[in-house]
Amino acid sequence: MSGGAMKGPSWAEKLADRMPEELRREIDIFETQMELRRRSEVDEKLFAETRLRRGVYGQRYDNGHRYDGERTRHLGYREHPTKGVDTVWDAPGMVRIKIPYGAMTREQMDVLAALAEDYSDGISHVTTRQDIQLHFVHIEDTPDLMRRLAAVGITTREACGNSIRNITGCPLAGVCKTEAFDISPYAEATMRFLLGHPDVQDFGRKVKPAFSGCAHEACGLVNMHDFGYIAKTRSENGKTRKGFAFYVGGGLGAIPHEAQLVSEFVTQEELLPLTQAVCRVFARLGEKENRGRARIKFLVAKLGIEEFRELVFEERAKLPHDPRWTAYIADLPKYKETALKSGAPLPPAKNGEHSSAFRAWYRSNVRPQRQEGYAVVTVKLPLGDITSDQMRALADVAGEFTGDNVRLTVEQNIVLRWIREADLPKLHAALEAIDLSEAGAEGIGDLTSCPGTDTCKLGIASSRGLTAELRKEVAKLDLASDDALKGLRIKSSGCFNSCGQHHIADLGFYGISRKKGNRLVPHFQVVLGGKWTENAGSFGLATLAIPSKNIPEVVRRVTSRFAKERAGDESFTAFIERLGKVEVKSFLQDLTEIPSYEEDPSYYSDWGDPRVYTMDDYGEGECAGEIVPLIEFGLQASEREVFEAQLFFDAGDFDQAKSMAYRAMLTAAKSLVKTEFLDITDDVNHIVKEFRARFHDTKRFHDKFAGAKFANYLFAAHEVSGNGGRQDLARQRVQEAQLFIEAAYACYEKMSTTGAPA
Amino acid sequence: MTSASKVDALSSPELSVKLFVTDATKVDLEELIPVFHRWIREDLLEDEVAIDVAGYAHVPKGPGVTLICDHAHYAFDERAGRFGLRYRGRRVARGSGKDAIVGAFRRVLRGAALLEKEPALAGKYRFATGRIEFGISDRLLAPSGAETLAALRPTLEAALKEVYEAPAKSIALASGPREPLLAAVEAGASPSVDALLDRLAAVAR
Repeated sequence: MSGGAMKGPSWAEKLADRMPEELRREIDIFETQMELRRRSEVDEKLFAETRLRRGVYGQRYDNGHRYDGERTRHLGYREHPTKGVDTVWDAPGMVRIKIPYGAMTREQMDVLAALAEDYSDGISHVTTRQDIQLHFVHIEDTPDLMRRLAAVGITTREACGNSIRNITGCPLAGVCKTEAFDISPYAEATMRFLLGHPDVQDFGRKVKPAFSGCAHEACGLVNMHDFGYIAKTRSENGKTRKGFAFYVGGGLGAIPHEAQLVSEFVTQEELLPLTQAVCRVFARLGEKENRGRARIKFLVAKLGIEEFRELVFEERAKLPHDPRWTAYIADLPKYKETALKSGAPLPPAKNGEHSSAFRAWYRSNVRPQRQEGYAVVTVKLPLGDITSDQMRALADVAGEFTGDNVRLTVEQNIVLRWIREADLPKLHAALEAIDLSEAGAEGIGDLTSCPGTDTCKLGIASSRGLTAELRKEVAKLDLASDDALKGLRIKSSGCFNSCGQHHIADLGFYGISRKKGNRLVPHFQVVLGGKWTENAGSFGLATLAIPSKNIPEVVRRVTSRFAKERAGDESFTAFIERLGKVEVKSFLQDLTEIPSYEEDPSYYSDWGDPRVYTMDDYGEGECAGEIVPLIEFGLQASEREVFEAQLFFDAGDFDQAKSMAYRAMLTAAKSLVKTEFLDITDDVNHIVKEFRARFHDTKRFHDKFAGAKFANYLFAAHEVSGNGGRQDLARQRVQEAQLFIEAAYACYEKMSTTGAPA
Repeated sequence: MTSASKVDALSSPELSVKLFVTDATKVDLEELIPVFHRWIREDLLEDEVAIDVAGYAHVPKGPGVTLICDHAHYAFDERAGRFGLRYRGRRVARGSGKDAIVGAFRRVLRGAALLEKEPALAGKYRFATGRIEFGISDRLLAPSGAETLAALRPTLEAALKEVYEAPAKSIALASGPREPLLAAVEAGASPSVDALLDRLAAVAR
């Protein structure tokens, strides 16, 4: 078989015609950057931020060490350059796949299923921000993984790193009874506008935006987002205008911040420019050194919302016009979801027609749409996990009942929209056949968890282990006797960073550690009474730290007391407020006791992880990304281009080699100009003109001995660009480009030491 | 000859072999988690860099409990509702052609033997060897389909003969076109896991 056999085409070749050109080029560039890093020709921090901005994230134990329950061992990976500080190249990592506002097609689901099988462990994990995460992925697989996504219109670009993260949106958008209007096309337009935008490349930390269709429901969780948009309409001169209340500076983390209102009503014409202005203010004034205070919420808190707002509107007034600000508006009417079937109500049930499983599922997982005869069905995923077989089968189910009307939710589920109500029994049977018909969506049995110590470097305790255990615990509760319990939400995070959104749960838990004698014990801080509704309306009350193994008892006690003592239809939030912190502490206090190791060693290991508990595997997370000045990305790009020029030269394509070398010089020149003039365009004449005025004429680019020699390489190439490709001229141009880039680095270094902006 | 059959599917590192347990009612996925952790701690898979244990007991018919290694995954999974131990190569091809398949068998058998003898499991886990599942999780080199299976059948048959000392009774495609390639194999014999390991050790000598 192997004799005479040949290699098939690569994914790059196979999918060449299916990838949008821009994505294809970006992925090729990333692959080249990987190659440069392998040769140690790119700094590890710069490469780390580069890969993060491609969605390629680190994972626990990627420093090459792991505690095995008795000692910390060195994992015997092959030697390689690192892929970030203290991050082993060969160690598997996580890939985060952005699914804007959670909208997926069946074709995309099919590809996601295949990628989870081919590069991960067969599980797609739905996150609390409508992403899909694949774990245990090796970096060398990532370019092909990205190509396969690109071929179905998905990018991982800016899924991690200090950039604009996935734009989330209410999964009921367009079918919800309480929304002002469908936010989907606006979220899409904002995503397209901000993706790779020059003004979002120089943040000190990430920015998470969210869209919501109304203020009252929870779905968009605007109150806890960096940028939040709530749809509104306003009547002007007898006409209804669409717009958004625009909030900034919300966030969870260790200390949650409620978002502040920037503008009561941003018209659809102003949505993108005002967002751009906020980005500029954040990039300019946001913290860059202290990463713990670099999110926009700290800038807003420092300046106060009034001053922040003033700066934003000043910035807005200065922005050079961009036709894309309004171009999307003409396309809005084209956005339309199509139902596969005409609407029809569920016929009244005859005696015994529906099983109890169907009835329970119908009560908790089915929500009528605004459009008569249709329903939205929630497919509840345990811990946000779905197997590849299930994902493929679910795509088929969608094909039979609704088409491409599928969305991920921030509660780590999937919704099928535009389901004809009359089809619900058949749909339930189809979901039952693939083990996706679990009832109890959006309630106490629908628990949320971040990855925690399972895979996250920052994890302190096993949030997934706890959540899996609490699923069993909740299943034992007598929910039939008390409706109020059904609607409670339980959310867990592995640390204070709140990826599990514990602050806005009725019962929230986040991982911490405590010492007993000379041993560490995994604990969870108990946070009670957060508000999920009203776009994450308020944050819960941190009460006390309880050993991980006692958390199920916390749930038992708190739910039982609520069921017994709540006054009328009192909400859980109000109940906890009424009880007060002192009383809550007092009735949970005994659960803080830790038996000695000899009495009960189980307290000294975590849920789902039998190893003796340790913090030795705790590492530096990559959530904060690396702080890399914008210019360094530009200079890195120029280096990559000169590398590609050399490859063209080696392949005998001298014309391309010359052209790419010229482009490399332009990129380096533009990076320098950009340190002073953010609005430099891509026009080559503009770049050369600005570079000449700012760096050549001022002699800042001059070499101590060679004077203007290196700058002249660019000017010469600019004047003769486009002529044919002789080998000797091509070689000369590539060499000149290399020297020009060296000079650009030297200039940047001088600027850094003299304190000039970089 | 079409392009797919010219491609050497067996040059992919992603070969897999799954052995099924004889009694699925005895399976408790959660009790396998400490077992795999111990394998890591005690270096029981000598030629693997074992990294971590991924637990998916909460997912029906999923990857179960998976031991993640640098160049392989060992999953005690429940795919398609059938419990068993699945070895799957990753990243680096371990041998080529027949040797790669035999190597995959050797590794899954080693894992199965460890589980059969695992003190904490008290002999609850036994593996059948008469019916196994062979696969290649590489849609580029080995797209699921009769053509790919036909192309690799002679090498697979040769490998099975080496492992079992008898020709396979049947090899049938067990995956749809959107799935990774899987073949259901009925072997020509059904010896114990230990007997097969002994035989492979003898062949290696």
